[in-house]
Amino acid sequence: MQEFQEHDYSEKLNINIWKKLVIYMLSLKKQVIIGIVAVILLAVGDITFPLLNRWVIDEITKSVDAGTKLDLNYLKLFVAAFVTLSVFQGMFIYTFIKAAGTIEVELSYALRKAAFEKLQSLSFSYFNKTPIGWIMARVTSDAKRLSEIISWGLIDMSWGIMIMIGIVIVMFSINAKLALITLAVVPILVVISFVFRKLLLKLYRDVRKINSKITGSFNEGITGAKTSKTLVLEDKNLREFDRITNSMRTKSIRAAMISSLFFPLVLMFNFVGTALAIYYGGLTYLQGAISIGTLSLFISYSTQFFDPILQLARVLSELQQAQASAERIISLLEVEPEIVDREEVIAKYGDYLNPKRANWETINGDIEFDHVSFQYKNGERVLEDFNLKVKAGETIALVGETGAGKSTIVNLICRFFEPTAGKILIDGIDYKDRTVGWLHSNLGYVLQSPHLFSGTIMENIRYGRLDATDEEVMEAAKLVDAHEFIINAENGYQTEVGEGGGRLSTGQKQLISFARAILANPAIFLLDEATSSIDTETERKVQTAIHKLLEGRTSFIIAHRLSTIVNSDKIIVIKSGKIIEQGSHSQLINEKGYYYRLYTNQFIEEQTQKLGF
Amino acid sequence: MHYLKTIFKWIKKDIIYLIISILAIIFVNYSRTFVPLFYKHAVDTIFENKGSNLPGFIVDFINIGDTQLNKLFFLGLALIMIQLFRALFMFISGSCNALFSENIAYRMRVKLYNHIQNLSYSYHTHAETGDLIQRSTSDVDTVRRFVGSQLTEVFSVILLFTFVLLQMLRIHTTMTLVSLIVVPFIFTFAFIFFKKIQNVFTETDESEGKMSTALQENLTGIRVVKAFARENYEISKLNKLNRVYADNVQKIINGMSTYWASSDFICFLQIALTTIFGAYFAIKGEITTGDLIAFTSYVSTILWPVRQLGRIIVDFGKSSVSLKRIEEVLNEKDEYQEKNLLTPEIKGEITFDHTSFQFPDASVPTLKNVSFTINKGETVAILGKTGSGKSTLAHLLVRLYDYTDGSIKIDGVELKDIDKKWIRKNIGIILQEPFLYSKTIYENIGILNDDYIEEEIFKAAQIAAIHTDITKFEEGYQTLIGERGVTLSGGQRQRVAIARMLVKKIPILIFDDSLSAVDTETDLAIRNALRERSNELTKIIITHRMSTAMEADKIIVFDDGEIHEMGTHDELINNNKIYKKIWEIQSSIETDFQENFVSEVGE
Repeated sequence: MQEFQEHDYSEKLNINIWKKLVIYMLSLKKQVIIGIVAVILLAVGDITFPLLNRWVIDEITKSVDAGTKLDLNYLKLFVAAFVTLSVFQGMFIYTFIKAAGTIEVELSYALRKAAFEKLQSLSFSYFNKTPIGWIMARVTSDAKRLSEIISWGLIDMSWGIMIMIGIVIVMFSINAKLALITLAVVPILVVISFVFRKLLLKLYRDVRKINSKITGSFNEGITGAKTSKTLVLEDKNLREFDRITNSMRTKSIRAAMISSLFFPLVLMFNFVGTALAIYYGGLTYLQGAISIGTLSLFISYSTQFFDPILQLARVLSELQQAQASAERIISLLEVEPEIVDREEVIAKYGDYLNPKRANWETINGDIEFDHVSFQYKNGERVLEDFNLKVKAGETIALVGETGAGKSTIVNLICRFFEPTAGKILIDGIDYKDRTVGWLHSNLGYVLQSPHLFSGTIMENIRYGRLDATDEEVMEAAKLVDAHEFIINAENGYQTEVGEGGGRLSTGQKQLISFARAILANPAIFLLDEATSSIDTETERKVQTAIHKLLEGRTSFIIAHRLSTIVNSDKIIVIKSGKIIEQGSHSQLINEKGYYYRLYTNQFIEEQTQKLGF
Repeated sequence: MHYLKTIFKWIKKDIIYLIISILAIIFVNYSRTFVPLFYKHAVDTIFENKGSNLPGFIVDFINIGDTQLNKLFFLGLALIMIQLFRALFMFISGSCNALFSENIAYRMRVKLYNHIQNLSYSYHTHAETGDLIQRSTSDVDTVRRFVGSQLTEVFSVILLFTFVLLQMLRIHTTMTLVSLIVVPFIFTFAFIFFKKIQNVFTETDESEGKMSTALQENLTGIRVVKAFARENYEISKLNKLNRVYADNVQKIINGMSTYWASSDFICFLQIALTTIFGAYFAIKGEITTGDLIAFTSYVSTILWPVRQLGRIIVDFGKSSVSLKRIEEVLNEKDEYQEKNLLTPEIKGEITFDHTSFQFPDASVPTLKNVSFTINKGETVAILGKTGSGKSTLAHLLVRLYDYTDGSIKIDGVELKDIDKKWIRKNIGIILQEPFLYSKTIYENIGILNDDYIEEEIFKAAQIAAIHTDITKFEEGYQTLIGERGVTLSGGQRQRVAIARMLVKKIPILIFDDSLSAVDTETDLAIRNALRERSNELTKIIITHRMSTAMEADKIIVFDDGEIHEMGTHDELINNNKIYKKIWEIQSSIETDFQENFVSEVGE
């Protein structure tokens, strides 16, 4: 599980990652340029305002000193200059926010899109070993955070750098010595900003970590409430929770205190700069080297200078976070699917994005396991030298304890896994010689706990064949006896099933998943029969539906119901990865072996259940 | 009003921090308005020998300097010193805010956690986990932000505005009016804008939620997706939602760009207006150059906070909603309200005497007139169809629900008079779907007491037939359970839960169908191990397995909330009722297997 530990911060610059990200930024080149240009012009405007003020002040002092009356033309000029600059600034602000926002929106869109596509192409084994929460975090929050930081960071950085350069140029061109003195505190400000930023980043990261622990505790406290009650663990749980939330309080307070030290400290040094500007500016003024307007300009600039420093420190520290996010997303986008079709196979049949259906052969349904072995990556052997010939239309029941390897056989047929040795032949041809897409389009698979998607019942059944008409969907539902409960539901076929089908009962979900499978009309059918008992009425319907589904298809069933097992053409009994018995029901009963015992136990339990127990 | 009362209830314990913070803020904002006066003093007083608006003591300090240059030096020094104090007070205010808000959040979290745990069993049967978590985390956070920064920020903006207004008025009335003319507009504008954009924010959150849900469903159902070869369909579905979400964010961006551009434009115009009028009045001689500099400085000081104020006030709405949602949870009645209950020694005798129970929202009783006695050390099996009331019976015994009629006595003491926690400590119940905590297996089994020794844990695990399973895990007993560790099968979970209960020596043990996911052979092994361990223990086994039931000292068959039949195995098989029918199936299969299965199973 170690590999799924989160690291949300990376110290070293990883050029490679940023290079890979650039690909996703290419289509946004125009927005990037527009945004940067707008924000640079904005910075120029920000620098110009104090210059205008200087001009006004100087004109006033001149006319006051000369005792002349106000020159109306000057006033008009002021108005014109201020209004024009304001209009421009407004436009620049509009443009840069829009550009940065668009970069943010489109970059995260593109990253998510790429992730969606990648995820659908990955093999089943990937999802088997990767927690969903882990994938979700990458696709949602990491994509979001990364694009937020990049887009706004880029803009803020351009603005900050431009403001600083601009102010330095203007100040030095007016009075180099005064400029030097006024900016003397800048190095201190830079050091403080970067030190604090780094410190705060770490502190708030700790706070976030504890915060997610608290959420976890609440989750456990709520979902485990009933059990905690019966065990009288309330006080113990509360003590543990108190400890966590108390450490959250301590850490939060510490972080907040350091953060509230940061800004005042920066502000204070900034005013040291202003005081220097007043003193040396005043001195220079008294020497007659600059005007009052210029003095006021230097004071303005000295206060304007610290904001960009703060921004730069923030952006740079955030970029470290962004890099960690980027590493996580890129790692997802670069996962290679374990099961891939060979190039010549793709050339003939197309890949899953662009299937060449014209070349797809119709399937008959013969399946052969030819000396098939399978072992997991960790070396665990599940199947060894397995041989089995199934003629089209036959039903095979897989019987055995949980974890015996029944699902492995099903997963192999689905090509969710591939044999580590041997071959699986479909209609006499190695199934690797045709695409996964071809196989899956001929496959029906109903799971023990049926999975439905949010949406209407109609949409869920139609998932089996997307171009099915409403009538065909209903026909399928009627075939599996689901029609009745559907039309009795609130909105009939348009009833929403809720997240994961949560608004329906297990039995109803099963019936819908059968209808979905029957609509797909597959040649090969795989069924993982449910173990959980449902009410007798639905159970009867489910049984009938299963029999309908099996008709004329090659089927593999992970079977739990005796009637299903007894009615199959061949029973395969699996124990710890090996086939220990196979044959028809009567053959196996006569052998009086494992199957016999299994059957007897099961028989008693089912009969008891029939009485309602 | 009610809202204010509620908020006060939460903050009163820490209100001292709020008071200190506000006092500090008064100083911070008041001294903030000195800054332009320093500029004015330099330009007007030092250079031109005109009047100063700075407080007398600062003027005196500056006048320590004898020459113009020295005065400038002392002015700079005073400015830095004032800022030093300001920085100190800002720090005090910030720290107090942190203490204030984090203490409140801490208390809220602990109170919520405690209260949720103490809510009744039936509440938790209907509770929506996601919603409760939302209330306990993000709603608490909203309130925390409100009391931590928004509350003091509002004070801060109002104070700053008032002080600036006063300083301005001391200089020039008309100029003051001209300089603050846009303030009401810009505030209203901000308020309306943020109010309006709230809806877009909500829509955006919803569309993001939809996208995440769809992805989550796609990932959990990836086998269905692959088996139906629906990869393309899924991609386009997800991307459609991706687009909707992106478009919503774009809407916010568009709103923001228009808002900031126009409100900044208005602010620029205000500054321009102040400068131009200032120039006019300065040339007319009504104000000095220093006054002009001070005015432009004041205007840019006040405009940003005023816009923030609009935003914060909009957020007030959010915090009152959050507080209401928190209070709703806390107003649910907790189950431990009775006082002066008994804690008698419990030996293990149970008597039901005409006991009935009906759920508050049900029209018919779940248990009707149930009477029976279980002696200390007896094993009683309870059989019955789903919904016949057998689980309810178990729940009544540990007071997860209280019987509505009749009586239940434990060792002669009326159950309703016994403390709930006490009874649960003495009667162990293992639920059908037990919850395991995200700790190691070892900690899970030993959860009832931190002082168990290893042998006790192992022993309990052996009796529960889970020891071998555990040792097969890579990390054995130290294996983490849950999201960040292994996922146990249903049967394994049940067995860990049994082991957890067995570590503790208790007089009464109830298995509420808690071996349902364990296979019959293991079931038998566990029961045998239990019998070997103690004959003191009173056991109630709720089951649907015949083989389990037949060994019991007493078998009670439930039907429709009533006792259908009761007795030992031998008694019941002579009783021509349900039990006998089940038994017949059982025995028939042994003898005439071959002819039977065809007729019973065949379609």
